[in-house]
Amino acid sequence: MLSSVPHTDTIIVADLEAGIGTLTRLPEQAVEHTLVIVEPTPRSIDVGLRAVQVATDRGQGSVTVVANKVANDEDDARVRSTFADHTVVAVPADRVVVRADREGASPLDFGAESPAVIAIGELAQLLTQ
Amino acid sequence: MIRIAFAGKGGSGKSSVSGTFARLLARRDRPVLAVDSDPLPGMAYSLGIPVDDHPTPDDVVVEGPEGGPKWVLRPGLDAAGFIDQYAAAGPDDVRYLQFGNSWGHWSTLQRGQHAWSQVVREMDPNAWNVVGDLPGGTRQAMFGWAKYADVLALVVEPTAKSIQVARRLRNITKAEWSPEHVVVVANRIDHPDDVQRIHDALERPIIGAIPDDAAVTAADKRAAAPLDDGSGPFVDAVEQLVDTVESSYDAVS
Repeated sequence: MLSSVPHTDTIIVADLEAGIGTLTRLPEQAVEHTLVIVEPTPRSIDVGLRAVQVATDRGQGSVTVVANKVANDEDDARVRSTFADHTVVAVPADRVVVRADREGASPLDFGAESPAVIAIGELAQLLTQ
Repeated sequence: MIRIAFAGKGGSGKSSVSGTFARLLARRDRPVLAVDSDPLPGMAYSLGIPVDDHPTPDDVVVEGPEGGPKWVLRPGLDAAGFIDQYAAAGPDDVRYLQFGNSWGHWSTLQRGQHAWSQVVREMDPNAWNVVGDLPGGTRQAMFGWAKYADVLALVVEPTAKSIQVARRLRNITKAEWSPEHVVVVANRIDHPDDVQRIHDALERPIIGAIPDDAAVTAADKRAAAPLDDGSGPFVDAVEQLVDTVESSYDAVS
């Protein structure tokens, strides 16, 4: 479907399943940007490293790493040092996102001024520049 | 013997709960086999096994007979022998059987999956208590990868998305091979109404309520087993879960 969508001004945002399965099956050069979301845990970073490799090998556009649920400088540094060759955007751990999840609400509707939503807004700006 | 599999949405805490459950069960002098069918395996971390990648060697299987499985255990190797030789040894004498890792070569993964399935299918049911960790989502559970279990425990967080996945998993009871009991473990509970909310949404017995515990997040960041940090709200709640499951089995037998 992605490869057959005409290139217009419409921006397509796809949320792939967890892991790297879909990424390995996606046609090559199907997207212009790949965002690899990692939490600052060894397991998540390990999967993130594999995802970056697959996305790069298969020509899935520019690869940006999003460090999610960053609680402190140590978390931030851990992701940045692991992905030193890539742009890393940090999204802070934020109770507003947790509360929105519990309510089944969009974080944007729940707390547009929350630190996580602001960070994601900056990420969107970075990609559309 | 207890045979339980944990399923639920990705990130709901299945690996933390199942790994801790397996070790606490083993501390009660039960032989425990932990079976991880997640191609992004995480159970080893929560067991405290210092390898996250424990693939099955390629030469453990040979091509299967025509019309049968593509790969079968090599002649002379049965399920007991496989576990003895190839299941990783973990703390508290838990043995850990990993199904494979999606970043290995696909052929190695496929061989490992066939070996895993055969071992789980053919192992002596009186030899091991089995604790399984399924990957996030509904696919594996719906396609029969938890056939080994008498009990399917849905690990559910008090979030709309987690409850939605559990509602889909609940339909597994309509399958012929469904585990006999489908129950719920409420995880990351931090509000008095959370358990009731999950119960109202799923209408299944809730056999455990595990509080949100920052120690689990901290252990995750160190790739450590929550149990190795000692007792705390999470570990205490999983201990109670083991009590509940054990006494349910005792009541039936």
